[in-house]
Amino acid sequence: MTSKPIISITDLNKTFPGSNKDLEVIAVKDVTVDIYQGEVVVVIGPSGAGKSTLLRCLNGLEDFDSGSIIIDNIPLNHHHKNRLEIRKEVGMVFQSFNLFPHMTVRENISLAVRRVRKKSLAECETITVDLLEKVGITDKIDSYPSQLSGGQQQRVAIARSLAMNPKVMLFDEATSALDPVMISEVLDVMKNLAKDGMTMVVVTHEMGFAREAGSRILFMDNGEIVEDRKVEDFFLDPNEDRSKAFLSKVI
Amino acid sequence: MIMIFVRKTTIIDSIKYLLFLGVIITIITLSSANMNYNWQWYRVPGYIISRSADGALIPGRLLTGLALTVKISVISLVLAFFIGMITALFRLSSSFTAKLVARIYLELIRNTPLLIQLFVIYFVISPVFNINPFISAVLALSLFEGAYASEIIRGGITAIPKGQWESAYSLGLNTIDTYRFIVLPQTLKQVLPPLTGQAVSLIKDSALVSTIAIFDLTMAGQSIISETFLTFEIWFTVALIYLVMTVSISAFVHRLEKRSRYDQ
Ligand SMILES: Nc1ncnc2c1ncn2[C@@H]1O[C@H](COP(=O)(O)OP(=O)(O)O)[C@@H](O)[C@H]1O
Ligand SMILES: [Mg+2]
Repeated sequence: MTSKPIISITDLNKTFPGSNKDLEVIAVKDVTVDIYQGEVVVVIGPSGAGKSTLLRCLNGLEDFDSGSIIIDNIPLNHHHKNRLEIRKEVGMVFQSFNLFPHMTVRENISLAVRRVRKKSLAECETITVDLLEKVGITDKIDSYPSQLSGGQQQRVAIARSLAMNPKVMLFDEATSALDPVMISEVLDVMKNLAKDGMTMVVVTHEMGFAREAGSRILFMDNGEIVEDRKVEDFFLDPNEDRSKAFLSKVI
Repeated sequence: MIMIFVRKTTIIDSIKYLLFLGVIITIITLSSANMNYNWQWYRVPGYIISRSADGALIPGRLLTGLALTVKISVISLVLAFFIGMITALFRLSSSFTAKLVARIYLELIRNTPLLIQLFVIYFVISPVFNINPFISAVLALSLFEGAYASEIIRGGITAIPKGQWESAYSLGLNTIDTYRFIVLPQTLKQVLPPLTGQAVSLIKDSALVSTIAIFDLTMAGQSIISETFLTFEIWFTVALIYLVMTVSISAFVHRLEKRSRYDQ
């Protein structure tokens, strides 16, 4: 890799105050990783490994204790402006969809485009219609989130993030709250996105997705990145015992 | 099934209501009989609407008082809402000063009687700044109800799921836009019923402004009674007018709520 990474994480540490004052929870420990344009990085690992926390640090939803995060040449630091700038370029999809329940699908998708990207109403409409087509929901533009199935809601949430035309997309267990049928409709959208060359960091338990669409696997345990391998290599021959144990459970 | 059930409870409620009314009327009749009270209901309408010398209809004293009560209540209501909103946002902000200001205001207002607040504003503050009784009344009422409104609004804001903030932030929205487009619209829907309760309180509490020489509905009633001794008739009429106002507000908001429901 000769080009500059689009995401550069160096020595990242994040702890949470525990229930007891001196008992801190180490959520992310000494994480160093570079992610390049077009990569689909799949983050796996047992529950509590720090996958969500790592992802949430990347768009400033969580403050980190030490280390550095640079995204698209912008350092994520105490400058609020940088944080806002990075959030424009980094989309995030949550396990629980988090659509805005008081807004229609159209309003959900176009709000940030209008307020943050300052696009005209006509542009917003074009973007919204195009993206709904892309995620396969064309007839629900005037519906409210409560009128959609879980899979549809998550696809709208993906469209909402994409509408900002981000450089990176983060997915935190985007399919974990869904029924099997809906899982595949959401995964299909994510696979297409990967094919289109989107840079993605995906926390998931769907090993099928990792094999098919992933370029790299980060295996996390106890806040650390235990393995950082190409997808093919990882599944053929995991280095670490912990990865082997985990793989034997999820496959 | 449900229809029948509803009708049955409505009937039972109505019977209870009529019984209650019967008891009240009996008590009043008995007590007025004991007092040899001389009912003169026919004189009441004249205090609501009367005719001037040339025959034109003019509002009676009760109606004029009602107009002032409505005016004070509406203005205070709007102010109380904004004071409540700003205080709630102050308390939730990350600024230490803003939080402190909000806390001091809330503690002061909620731990002293409204009547005393009204007197302090009218007798102590208003001479200094040369403000008239009407403004003193509006100020006292809106500061008082605003404190309670702020707690209601703050509760509503903190009840919005964290995920709403997070998805708004991750879309690049700033805090102001997140409040404006995501958090507050959802909050207001949630807090409309308790805020209505607060509005009803405000209307009732506005009767206290009669103590600072304002000719509101209560003051009008008092002055009519002191001249005519129509004690029962006027107090019942005044109470009924307050009741009509508060009940219609509740009913109006209830209908509003039913119409704008997005999650059902
Ligand atoms: N807001 C929080 N407060 C306290 N502890 C937290 C918080 N979020 C996560 N943690 C802790 O940090 C660790 C990593 O959590 P998380 O990143 O959610 O793991 P994963 O997503 O891999 O399951 C866990 O021990 C979890 O209990
Ligand atoms: Mg997680």
